[in-house]
Amino acid sequence: MKYSIARYWREKHSYYRLKATKCLKCGRINYPPSKVCKYCGSRELEDTELFGLAKVLTWTVIYASPSGYEEYKPLIIAMVELLGTGVRILTRLTDVDPEEVREGMLVEPVLRRTSEDGEAGIIRYALLFRPLIKGAPEIESNK
Amino acid sequence: MVNGLLNPEKETGIIGWGSYIPRYRLPLDEIARIWGFAKETPRGLRTFEKAVASRDEDATTMGWEAALNALKRAGINPGEIGAVWFGTESKPYAVKPSATIIAEAFGITPDTMATDLEFACRAASEAMRIAIGAVASKLVKYALVIGSDTAQAEPGDVLEFTASSAAAAFIIGPSNEAAAVFEASYTYVTDTPDFWRRAYIPYPLHGEGFTGEPAYFHHIVNAVKGLLEKTGLTVNDFNYVIFHQPNGSFPLKVARKLGIPREKVLPGLVTPYIGNSYNASALIGLSKVLDDAKPGDRILLAPFGSGAGSDAYSIVVTDKIIDRKDKAPKVGDYLARKKIIDYGMYAKCRGLIKRVRR
Repeated sequence: MKYSIARYWREKHSYYRLKATKCLKCGRINYPPSKVCKYCGSRELEDTELFGLAKVLTWTVIYASPSGYEEYKPLIIAMVELLGTGVRILTRLTDVDPEEVREGMLVEPVLRRTSEDGEAGIIRYALLFRPLIKGAPEIESNK
Repeated sequence: MVNGLLNPEKETGIIGWGSYIPRYRLPLDEIARIWGFAKETPRGLRTFEKAVASRDEDATTMGWEAALNALKRAGINPGEIGAVWFGTESKPYAVKPSATIIAEAFGITPDTMATDLEFACRAASEAMRIAIGAVASKLVKYALVIGSDTAQAEPGDVLEFTASSAAAAFIIGPSNEAAAVFEASYTYVTDTPDFWRRAYIPYPLHGEGFTGEPAYFHHIVNAVKGLLEKTGLTVNDFNYVIFHQPNGSFPLKVARKLGIPREKVLPGLVTPYIGNSYNASALIGLSKVLDDAKPGDRILLAPFGSGAGSDAYSIVVTDKIIDRKDKAPKVGDYLARKKIIDYGMYAKCRGLIKRVRR
């Protein structure tokens, strides 16, 4: 077992959902969640969740993957910006080939297997982003 | 009361529905080429391509997306869901529920029931009947029912032609909020050895002479007859009919046996384009029909699972369906999103290549 079960359990909500905090003073979204607003320094923040469409800002393709990720390569690592929030997330793209990725491409979050601890260990799930399914309506960026 | 029997179904209905189909498609001709089948073999199954889950997908992730689409259409607070029931025969963990992962991901935990159910291809349908009871008795306000499978088949076995991957999900709740209400349901089960997979064995086996007449046809025909007898309805009263879809020809054949015109079956028949997604098979058909149905339509749904059993439902669409259809991607959107792959990619995606994983 290479993975820390305790850490995965402790951080599961960060993997399954896009947890953030919203500053009650300046209204900005802090992602990852922070107890101090990185924009105005206020300590008055409330928990919130992000979900919705994002656009691809930039990306890179990794062919020599770290251990545990061999099944999923090539890995497309992208910086995406959630529409309407300004929040930027470093994530992995899925359901897309490297040559299909474009700057400004609309993507949406999906739960996927991200790595597994050998044959018998824990399977890690997390939200990745994939190109918007045709026909999907735009949904609120910040529910 | 219907014919003297309790009829809790009418208190319940489908609040939201959703589906998911992975983007990879493997043409059945490619399987025939690799394993030396005659080109005519897949033609007899009336199936052309099957959907293949990619390496980062499994029954849990596909069920999550189908449930997300059902929640978008339902427009409810996930915290009001009191049961998450996950029907599958391809659990990512042999022991550890998928239902709790999905419940956690949507913020349904901890105040909920959650479990995985197994009955070959009809566990999710059994979950739907259980959900009807739980909602009608007011044990829960809403139940989330998911059918999701990455169906297994031994490479080279005829089953490999159709065993595919997809998911469907439904929010079951009170009838006054429903886009479609349950009018009645009926279940018919027997001990029939048509298909099984023993512990630690990676692929299922099937009793050749048992999969058709004594299993699929016998159980579906009797489930439908039981429903019609219970309700006094006839097959002419239904606008759409959806059967379990192990291939593209069985549903049309069982329709003929029941005197149902193929035109009522074809709108919900998706197996020719994605294969047999086991627990999602008939339920994706229902999802597709709901995508297109109009208020007042009556739907006959009859899933089947080996071992064996079939459920028959009469479902009547309400005017609430109109505003909910476009709130999530439809089955047609997922059918249109596809990338053709070869057998090598399929083998990688489905874990058919033995590797030493450290």
